[in-house]
Amino acid sequence: MTPSHEALQLWPAAVSATASETDLLILAFTVLTLLLTVPVFVAITYFAVRYREGSEANRQPSGIRSNLIEISWMLIPFLLTLIFFVWGAKLFVQSKNPPPDAMVVEAIGRQWMWKFQHPTGQSEINNLHLPIGQPIRLHIISQDVIHALYLPAVRLQVAALPDRYTDLWFKADKVGTYHLYCSEYCGTDHSVMGGEVTFMNPGDYQDWLTHAGAQQGKVAAGRALYEAYGCAGCHEPGSAVKAPSLAGLYGSPVKLADGRTVTADDGWLRDKILNPNGDRLAEGYKQVMPSFAGRIPADELGTLIDFLKSYSSPAAGKAADATPAGATR
Amino acid sequence: MSAPLADGVGVARAEHFESVAQQREAATLGIWAWLITELLLFSALFLVALITRIQHPEATVAAAKHLKFWIGATNTVVLICSSLTMSMAIEFSRMGWQRAMVRAMLATAALGGLFLVLKGYEYYADWDEHMMPFLSSRPFALAETPAARLFVNLYYVATLLHALHLFTGIGLLLGMTWMAAKAGFLSRHQNWIEVYGLYWHFIDLVWILAFPILYVVNR
Amino acid sequence: MSASGSIGGTARREPHAPESTIGRKADYLHAESTLRSWFLTTDHKRIALLYLASITGFFVIGALAAGVVRLALIVPNGAIMTNDTYNKAFTIHGVVMVWFFLIPSIPATFGNFLIPLMIGAKDLAFPKLNLTSWYVFMTGALFTLVSVVLGGVDTGWTFYAPLSTAFSNTWVLPALIGVTIVGFSSILTGLNFVVTIHTMRAPGMTWFKLPIFVWTHYATSLIFLLATPVITTALILLIAERAFHIGVFDPAYGGDPVLFQHLFWFYSHPAVYIMVLPGMGVISEIVPAFAQKKLFGYRFVAYASIGLASVTFFVWGHHMFVNGQSDLASLVFSALSFAVAVPSAVKVYNWTATIHKGSLRLDTPMLYAMGYIGLFVLGGLTGLYLATLAINQHIHATYFVVAHFHYIMVGGTVLAFLGGLHFWWPKFTGRMYSEPWGRVSALLIFLGFNVTFFPQFILGYLGMPRRYATYPAEFQLLNVLSSAGATILAAGYIFPMLYLVYSLWFGRKAPANPWNAKGLEWETASPPPTHNFLTPPEVPRIPYDYPIQAQESRDQHG
Repeated sequence: MTPSHEALQLWPAAVSATASETDLLILAFTVLTLLLTVPVFVAITYFAVRYREGSEANRQPSGIRSNLIEISWMLIPFLLTLIFFVWGAKLFVQSKNPPPDAMVVEAIGRQWMWKFQHPTGQSEINNLHLPIGQPIRLHIISQDVIHALYLPAVRLQVAALPDRYTDLWFKADKVGTYHLYCSEYCGTDHSVMGGEVTFMNPGDYQDWLTHAGAQQGKVAAGRALYEAYGCAGCHEPGSAVKAPSLAGLYGSPVKLADGRTVTADDGWLRDKILNPNGDRLAEGYKQVMPSFAGRIPADELGTLIDFLKSYSSPAAGKAADATPAGATR
Repeated sequence: MSAPLADGVGVARAEHFESVAQQREAATLGIWAWLITELLLFSALFLVALITRIQHPEATVAAAKHLKFWIGATNTVVLICSSLTMSMAIEFSRMGWQRAMVRAMLATAALGGLFLVLKGYEYYADWDEHMMPFLSSRPFALAETPAARLFVNLYYVATLLHALHLFTGIGLLLGMTWMAAKAGFLSRHQNWIEVYGLYWHFIDLVWILAFPILYVVNR
Repeated sequence: MSASGSIGGTARREPHAPESTIGRKADYLHAESTLRSWFLTTDHKRIALLYLASITGFFVIGALAAGVVRLALIVPNGAIMTNDTYNKAFTIHGVVMVWFFLIPSIPATFGNFLIPLMIGAKDLAFPKLNLTSWYVFMTGALFTLVSVVLGGVDTGWTFYAPLSTAFSNTWVLPALIGVTIVGFSSILTGLNFVVTIHTMRAPGMTWFKLPIFVWTHYATSLIFLLATPVITTALILLIAERAFHIGVFDPAYGGDPVLFQHLFWFYSHPAVYIMVLPGMGVISEIVPAFAQKKLFGYRFVAYASIGLASVTFFVWGHHMFVNGQSDLASLVFSALSFAVAVPSAVKVYNWTATIHKGSLRLDTPMLYAMGYIGLFVLGGLTGLYLATLAINQHIHATYFVVAHFHYIMVGGTVLAFLGGLHFWWPKFTGRMYSEPWGRVSALLIFLGFNVTFFPQFILGYLGMPRRYATYPAEFQLLNVLSSAGATILAAGYIFPMLYLVYSLWFGRKAPANPWNAKGLEWETASPPPTHNFLTPPEVPRIPYDYPIQAQESRDQHG
């Protein structure tokens, strides 16, 4: 379910106390900014009119020493802005020091998907379910290029580096579903590499961990893998490659080049993904599919096959996850 | 410039300058500005080499053991001698001794050439010892220490860049020597020798930095 | 031609009588007209025009790429083009606009043309080197455009490793080589300017009589010399990494991809001041001329230029607050970034104080200057938001950043470029442009610019990341608004191209000093003779010796 939207909002929802404080910080800074700049705009406009060539205004110099003026308008705005440096630095340092009892969720980014690993073992693709009311630390790494995990609702992001872990911690106080993005440009599908973070009451989160959420999320996860591994790029209608459609394939008969007809079951699909050169298809399909042996871990292969089982038509397969509570932004 | 110029030695004023003094000052400031940019270029590279050493000390030492210290040391002496002959050329140019200046310039070019020959032999020895990790076709001798190739490859980037500057420098020097041998050169273009001499000294300086940073510090 | 300008009393624009030398072979434009005389020229004024023509061409290419980007973003789902096409479009927009338009724009055109004139010299110190710099520039452009023609590059103008070195399948190498080569063009220009300003000032032209335009170009040239070599090293390492897998940025061998970011931004932050300082120099010439009043706080503005060029070297880490650098580094870079705002603020307040009690004419150059002041202030202060650590954690890599730098680069530098182009057009060409068209275009550009980029501040704070080919549907309204603004902006850009070219044949002939401005370039004919001055120019008693002098000129002893 996509987050609902209001047409004229100016800032996203803030789900944590630090997010709200960040909003306050920028609001206060904006007030100072206006105090420092509006006089300039007003002055220029006023002067342009009042001192127009030929006007009768008084152009006698005022006699105030200019060095004093200069030093004042250098020092005073600078010292005022430093207030915001300190405030911002304080929040920043807090955000870099997670409490030791924070719940740790591992986040692995790669082109072009996120995999989240809950401490109890469940994993999610692109979407993330989390409880409110307790500190959460995301422990982040990349498997290829530099990505970044960005959650506007908590006003935080951090890079996902390929050679070491980085961390992001927060404590959410409001339930709801919000955007989750990759914010470091990482290639072709950078803008698709995201999903939703859903904050839930602790009880609902436990429910989700144990049954409903894991199951409901699996189809969405499978779909995400179907796209992330590039299957969609060739097997969807409209592709230049014209690979056979996988919609409705599971359980149907498949004609092979050597004259046999087999049923596309779990085992056959698994073998074909890992070794596409085997069991070549009849009907003039040229074999160009690359092998995914060594490229797709076993658990993800299982999730992908589960997706294909339920994949009945291209339109129905579009990314849609079900969250138990009604989604807000 | 310290010593005054001998009679008949000088610079012909280009038309956009107001005076010869202005022209000489501009040329000197210009070459110094250029050399500062070159120094920054190499310094950034040496900084990356030092960072590599700080991040991977054992791998760097293992790699540095394969460097040919004595060829590097000999080359250092060769370049210092070439700076000496270049300084002599500058002095001779000021004194108006054209033939001696030309010989000193040729000696400088020859020493620079000797450096490149020794360097070429050193690269051949590196190739022979499988110390060229950037050649994917040739197995790297220290492949089991992945970080070793960082230092080795930086050594190539730095020394190749220096060799490129030296090669270009020798080319310019030979061209200038050919012009400087002609009659009347010293009365019109004496400061070219000084300006060029600064460039040559700089090439020497880069090597004097490179040798300790690459060969010595990591032993 | 004669010296112009009235002293004392209210300033008046010079009457129509042309005092130009058009038609006389002595001016630089008409002295020779063969192709050879243009493409092998060593006259700094002709070289400036070579640059003007080429950077205008590159601006058009960069703008077309921007058009592709804004077109794609009209719909949220990427239906108009593939993600790869989009990625290539924004990459080439950035590469071309940064290196082939913004960096050379004011220095290589106005700087080249005006610096010798402003200091009373006949040419730059190294005229042949000047021509060489243009050929190096074009060679760099050739390599970069080759990569576009071959199929494009999609790494973003920042070329972060390991995406650019090991994962992108596009034509990264020719683009990297092109950018490396064009860096040498900057270095040669900077070198020429520094040496010229130090050694070739006319007798009596002391440092504190120089126009601020010269001070800002001197400061810019220091950055050219000290920053550019570091990006050269960074790009050489990137090329070696991509071509030979040397490992320096590859974690598999213990290399550090964030090291590339440090090397890159050590240059690229000062580079944005290369893009900003010359524009400040232009505004510092226009405002006093159209207020007929001495620049307020001349010495502070001069020192602020050097101050900017110094402090700028110590803030590069503010591009990397969330990229994994140490917290201490982030704290230091944030604090220094607050400090670097001070010299810019000095200039803005000084320009405003110059306008106070001046005698103002709102011709096209002044409209651009006033627009510049407003937009640059907004762009600069949003930079302070980005320098605030906790705010940065939210708006880094969002459209807020995109809006911030476009306010400075377009609202600032491009407006300064256009203002300067109109201000000095009579001097360069000997013709006056059409003033009504000039004003209409300036207003159209100001309007189109704000409609395009102000919504992007909001988009950024709402959380829309940058470099996104597709985006959540709720952002569509603001994106469509931004794209609509881009069409207004494009129309605004087209008008000057037309009426300025038109004026070359049909414009009113310009006198030596149509604006009654001060500065040695106005003491010679429009266009100037090939050797700039027929008689050695008289160095002024004080800089900005305008009819209206404020009290502080007596305080500062000229």
